Amino acid sequence: MEVGASNCESLNAICALTIKPMVEGSKEKTQAGPPLESKELGFVAVMTTTFTTVFLAEMGDKTQIATLLLSAQSGQTWLVFLGAALALIASSLVGVLVGRALANILPPDRLQKMAGTLMVALGLWLGLQATQSLIASSQTS
Amino acid sequence: MELPLLLSTFTTVFLAELGDKTQLATVAISGNSNRPLAVFLGSASALVLASLLGAMTGGSIAAVIPSNLLQLFAALGFLVIGIRMFNPMFSFSPPDEETQS
Repeated sequence: MEVGASNCESLNAICALTIKPMVEGSKEKTQAGPPLESKELGFVAVMTTTFTTVFLAEMGDKTQIATLLLSAQSGQTWLVFLGAALALIASSLVGVLVGRALANILPPDRLQKMAGTLMVALGLWLGLQATQSLIASSQTS
Repeated sequence: MELPLLLSTFTTVFLAELGDKTQLATVAISGNSNRPLAVFLGSASALVLASLLGAMTGGSIAAVIPSNLLQLFAALGFLVIGIRMFNPMFSFSPPDEETQS
């Protein structure tokens, strides 16, 4: 018991010596940098937004149809899935790298306007297509 | 016999995805956010999950999931993100980002 208590105390002392300055140092760091306002989205928020949008957009997309056709044709579901998954990971890596490269070349406000135009155009196009096929399927059924 | 199938699947899917709407969205989001890892993880996991569903369910997926309706929601998401980029109040990144690089 006594040994345990003394261990705890020495641990506390070590903690107080090592962790406290680290915490303080990191506090100073965040305060010294440019103020990150609340409009900056967090890691999880950016990831969730990207995941949801991309996942919904990919459902029923040509890639998914190609994957299911290939897997049905060959009968080797897992091999087809592996190939498709690697290709999709590679393609999203390319997308992210191109985005970062553009961010280094173009001024942020201009890039934001271009990206915003692109996203709105893609949204309108995707929405139009989905609405058209929804109407077509409701007419045939 | 196994490698050709793997390679042909990879090539087909990779070429089909180049310049696809989701890749363009990934470019747009990562260009305007300073969290490229989050964008990569979100986009890659969504694509992998979508293709997992495609490979596992075979042809039955179209009957189970109303993909048109889901795409309509995706279109809404694209619009929201796009409008966010125009409106600095809801921007993905602070306006002074990247000025020093």
